[in-house]
Amino acid sequence: MMDFLQFFCSGLLNGLVYALLGLGLVLIFRASEAFNFAVGEFLVVGAFLFYFFYFNWGLPLLIALPLGLGAAGVFGGIVERSVIKPLMGRPHLSMTIITLGLSNILAGGLQATVGSNPYNFSVSLPDLTLDLGPLIFPSTNVWAGILSLAFFTMILLFLYKTRWGLVIQATSESQPKALCFGINAQSVLLLVWAIAAACIGASGIVISNLGALSSQISVVGLRAIPVVLIGGLDSIAGALVGGLIVGIAESLTGAYLEPAGLIGFKEVVPYFVLLIALFIRPYGLLGRVRIERV
Amino acid sequence: MLSVENLRVVYQEVISVLQGVSLKVPDGEITVLLGANGAGKTTLLRTIFGLLPVYDGKIIEGNVFLDGVSLNRFHSSVIVKKYRITYILEERPVFWYLTVDQNLKAAAFSRPNREISGEIARVLKIFPKLGSLMNTKAGFLSGGEQQMLTIGMALMTKPKILLLDEPSLGLAPLIGRELFGIIRNLNRDGLTIFLVEQNAHAALSVAARGYVIEGGRIVLDGTAQELIHNKDVREFYLGVAGGDQQRFRDAKRYKRRKRWL
Ligand SMILES: Nc1ncnc2c1ncn2[C@@H]1O[C@H](COP(=O)(O)OP(=O)(O)OP(=O)(O)O)[C@@H](O)[C@H]1O
Ligand SMILES: [Mg+2]
Repeated sequence: MMDFLQFFCSGLLNGLVYALLGLGLVLIFRASEAFNFAVGEFLVVGAFLFYFFYFNWGLPLLIALPLGLGAAGVFGGIVERSVIKPLMGRPHLSMTIITLGLSNILAGGLQATVGSNPYNFSVSLPDLTLDLGPLIFPSTNVWAGILSLAFFTMILLFLYKTRWGLVIQATSESQPKALCFGINAQSVLLLVWAIAAACIGASGIVISNLGALSSQISVVGLRAIPVVLIGGLDSIAGALVGGLIVGIAESLTGAYLEPAGLIGFKEVVPYFVLLIALFIRPYGLLGRVRIERV
Repeated sequence: MLSVENLRVVYQEVISVLQGVSLKVPDGEITVLLGANGAGKTTLLRTIFGLLPVYDGKIIEGNVFLDGVSLNRFHSSVIVKKYRITYILEERPVFWYLTVDQNLKAAAFSRPNREISGEIARVLKIFPKLGSLMNTKAGFLSGGEQQMLTIGMALMTKPKILLLDEPSLGLAPLIGRELFGIIRNLNRDGLTIFLVEQNAHAALSVAARGYVIEGGRIVLDGTAQELIHNKDVREFYLGVAGGDQQRFRDAKRYKRRKRWL
């Protein structure tokens, strides 16, 4: 029983990281109706930008973190202006497809600049190891959960408590309608991509801090696909729920099913859960119920 | 004064939709634009409001002027904020997944923060019914309520000129009448209105002047009174038979021959 609780809670902590990753994808999907397949590279780029400020320049964490996330945001903005904006007015699928190409280009660029070797990545944070007798959670995992939750909450507050957040919601629903009221839809999209890139970059930092940073961690980005599909591509709460489900499912599978012989099942189980979720609700568990009128 | 001079507009470089449209929207008046489906009414509004690029359209000749300044090159956000023109889309531009309150606030994006609560109070005075619906998602409102919200949202931008695209579309006659009453009141309070309509009767009854557009050209213009009594307008838009009674088949042939051109 205690074992189960241990694995369940570890999964929960990892799930929070996935949720943050999923949030970045949901924001983009709601605004541009595109799925960002370059999510893995966004994650690596974000982590390296922070690495640069924190480890190379040796800036204090509280300065390096905002700088790194800001730089990730600028990166997202550049992607929006150069790749996404030119496709405005074209079928939405074309944006999704171009992110596939972008993913390859960025992967090549990363290979050429930072290579594929791991970089030592341990941010000095106060020790928060949770030792509860039979249950023990390493400090990095606890920090991963806390930081992810903090970023997630910050973005939520921005989205639901500020004027700009409201305008993002409105523009995400319909660009022509937003234009009617003098909202500059293109600036809003730029902002959304910047926030989403910072969000994905933040999860990249957290993930690197669990082990090491290398361009290989871009595969974690792929795990965001079942996360957002389970929760609903357009649902922010869905990103949280989907993230937690995937985190827990992975952890429990790794603990119970893999030792029983199902080697590698951990990688597959999110898709397995996805299949079940889509049977129950085709738009994802919390996918927005479409308001239909005739 | 808003005016349009010899405007020629194409979509996708080749589809010619407006072929030399000129008209004037005098300050403080309601000007109505009548025309059949596909005549180019919405295209004209998009042009005035700087939305053509969004639809892959382009001005190839002519100008939109506001008090002598050409608006051709401006983005819609500048037209709202600086030139105080607001456009209400044909499909009511309420945000379905936002509440009425959030819709009003989102529409006030171009206004300074401190003015917003005052503006909302003003809108609720005009549309008291919205007050009880503040926390309802706009997608769940009735067509009439959505239309009220739409106009309320347009007012949140504090426009001097309102471009309305077929506001009575899909509304029950009674609500339609209420709507035209509201339009008239807004105009009395000083708002200049450019009204695109197919409901010619109601539109001409509130308007000062009107134009008829057909196939991308203005084919008729005059005061609302002149238009109401014009034989062709009566026949095509008001559904009143022409003076001398003809047999139905003749009338149809006559209509086909006479396409305003
Ligand atoms: N984005 C576009 N691309 C190409 N052609 C278009 C586009 N939008 C409109 N058109 C064409 O331009 C013509 C005029 O359209 P417009 O929407 O301006 O007409 P309308 O007078 O508003 O008609 P309705 O009364 O049906 O609203 C139509 O033939 C239409 O097919
Ligand atoms: Mg139209």
